[in-house]
Amino acid sequence: MKLGRTKGWLLFALCVILAPIVFRNNSYLLIVLILCGINVIMTSSLRAMATVGQMCMGSMAFSGIGAYTSALLTLKAGFPFWAAFPLAGLVAMAVAAIIAFPFVRVTGVYFAMLTLFLGEVVRLIIVEWNSLTGGVTGLTGIPPMGAISLLGVHVDFTSLLPYCYFVFFVMMVTLIVLYRIDRSFLGTTLAAIEKDEDVSASVGINVIKYKALLFCIGCFFFGLAGSLLAHYMRILNADSFSLFGSIYILIYMVAGGRKKFSGPIVGAVVLTLIPEMFRVMKQYQPLVFVAVLFFVLYFLRAGLADLPDKIRHLIKKTHPGKAANA
Amino acid sequence: MWDGVLQGIFNGLASGWIYVLVALGLALVFSILGILQFAHGEIYMLGAYVVYYACVVGHIPFLLALLISALVMGVGGIILERVMFRRIRGEMEPAILAAIGLTLLFQTVAVIAFGGYTKFIPSVFPGVVKLGGVRLSKDRLFAVIMGLVLTSALFLVIKKTKVGKAMLAVSHDPEAAALQGINVNRISSLSMGIGSALAAIAGGLMGSILQLAPHMGTFAITKGIAVIILGGIGSISGAVLGGLILGLVDGLIPLYSSGTMAAIVGFCVIILVLLVRPKGLLGHD
Repeated sequence: MKLGRTKGWLLFALCVILAPIVFRNNSYLLIVLILCGINVIMTSSLRAMATVGQMCMGSMAFSGIGAYTSALLTLKAGFPFWAAFPLAGLVAMAVAAIIAFPFVRVTGVYFAMLTLFLGEVVRLIIVEWNSLTGGVTGLTGIPPMGAISLLGVHVDFTSLLPYCYFVFFVMMVTLIVLYRIDRSFLGTTLAAIEKDEDVSASVGINVIKYKALLFCIGCFFFGLAGSLLAHYMRILNADSFSLFGSIYILIYMVAGGRKKFSGPIVGAVVLTLIPEMFRVMKQYQPLVFVAVLFFVLYFLRAGLADLPDKIRHLIKKTHPGKAANA
Repeated sequence: MWDGVLQGIFNGLASGWIYVLVALGLALVFSILGILQFAHGEIYMLGAYVVYYACVVGHIPFLLALLISALVMGVGGIILERVMFRRIRGEMEPAILAAIGLTLLFQTVAVIAFGGYTKFIPSVFPGVVKLGGVRLSKDRLFAVIMGLVLTSALFLVIKKTKVGKAMLAVSHDPEAAALQGINVNRISSLSMGIGSALAAIAGGLMGSILQLAPHMGTFAITKGIAVIILGGIGSISGAVLGGLILGLVDGLIPLYSSGTMAAIVGFCVIILVLLVRPKGLLGHD
C-alpha cells in the first residue's frame, strides 16, 4: 500500500492523537509511549545533524544539560515548569553555539570522536560539580509539571495521560520544525553539503555556517528532550546521560534509516517498543538492539523505513510488468 | 611532598603502559584496516575475564594465563575480522556502527555470564619495592615491564621482519601493497589478531592492578581513542607517548584534585588536539 506523504502524516497524527486515549488505563503502556515520544524527538534531531554528514556521539550530553537546567531551575530556583522547559532547550543551544564553530570544522570520524569526548566531559563535569548537580547521587524530588487551568478546564500534568499528550505535542512541534527545515531551501542546501562539501563551498555556500546552525538546532531539541526526561523521571544523576545513551539514539537512527525523514521515527518507535515487549528478560534487552542493528547494517543498509520500498522493489523484480502499486 | 609526586608518577606510568598496550592494538587496526574498531575495549574486557577465570578459577599461573588470554582473544580478533570487518574494511561509518553493535553484544553477554559485580585478581607479585621514598608495587612494576617488552617487540617486528614491513606497506596504501604481492587479507587478519592479543594482555594487567567489571571496556576504548588522537594516528611512537602522557595525567592530577578531574583534564586536552592539531603529536597519515 503506497502511502502518499500527506496520507502518511495524517495516519501518524491519528496514531499520536488516539494512542494515549486508547491506552489511558494502562500506565505501563503510557510510560512506553512517553519514552517513545522522547526518543523520537532525540533521534530526529540526531538525524537533522546527520543530514550534513555529522555523526554525533555525544548527543546525550545536551539532553543532560537541558535536563539539569530544567531540574535545577524548578527545584532550586523556584521557576515554574513552563519557564524552565524552554530555557532548558535554550541553555543547551547556547552551549552548542559556543562550541559549534570550532567543532563543525572537524569532519568525519574525527567529529564523532570529538563529540564522544564532549559527551564524556559533560558527564564528568556533572559528576564533579557536586554542589550544583548533586554529583553521582544526583537530584531527587524534581517537581512535576504541575497543573494548569485554561478557560475553566483543569489539566493536571502530573498524571501520565496529560503528560503523554504534552510529550507528543512537543514531539509533533519538533517534527514539524525539522520537516520544514528538511523540505525548505535550507534542506536543499544541506543535501548539497552532504553530497559534496567542496562543490557546495565553491558555489558560495557557507558550509561551516550551515553545519553550525544545524548543530545548534539539533542540540536545542536535545535540551528540550532532556527536560521532558527530567520531569518524567523526577530524579536525575550523571549516569542518566552517558555514552551509552548517545549510542542508543545513534542505533535508533541507523536502524530506522538516515535518508528518509520517517527513518528516525520508525527506528525510535520500533526500538523503544520491542525491548518493552521482552520486558521479562531485562538483561537481554540490548541483544534485541544488536540483532536489529546487525540486520540493518548487513541486509538493509538504508534502514527499516526503507523496508516498504525494498519490498516493492523485490516484487517488481520477481513480477516484471505487474503494476507497481499493490 | 616529593614522595607523593614520585608515587603519582610511578602509578601514572603503570596505568600509562596499559593505555599504550590498548592504543597500540587500536592504532594497528586503524592503520591497516582503515576502521576505528570501537569494540576494542570489549576485547580488552573479555581478555581480562579470560585471565581471571584462568588464574583465579583454574589456578593457572598469571603469566601463562596472560599468554592464554592473548592467544584466545587473538584468535577471536582474527575471526571477527574474517566474519565482520572484512566486508566493510575501509568504510568508516558502517564499521564503527558494527563495532558499536559488537560492544553492546559483548557487554550484555558479559553481564549475563560474569555477573555485574566487580571481581579482583589477587596480587600476582605481592609486596613493594622501596626506591627512595617511593613504594613501587610489584604488580605495577610488572605492568610497566610487560608494556616495555611488548611495545619493543612490536616495534622490532614492524621494523625488522618481512611481515612487519608488509604491515607498514598495507597501512600506507593497500592497493599498492597488493600489487607488490602482499596478501592484504592475511595482513588484516594478523593485525586484528595482534591488536586483540595486546588488548587482552592489557586487560589482564589492569585486572591484576585494579579490578574487573563488565563495563571496563568502555573505559578502555575511550582511553585508547584518546591516546591515538594525542599521539597521532598511524604512529606507534605516538601511541607510546600519548599513552604515557595520559597515564601521567591520571597519576598526578588526583593528588591535587580528584580522579574525575584528571579524566576531565585529559579529555579536554584531547578535544583541543582534535580542534587545533588533529594530527596529534607525532602523527603523519
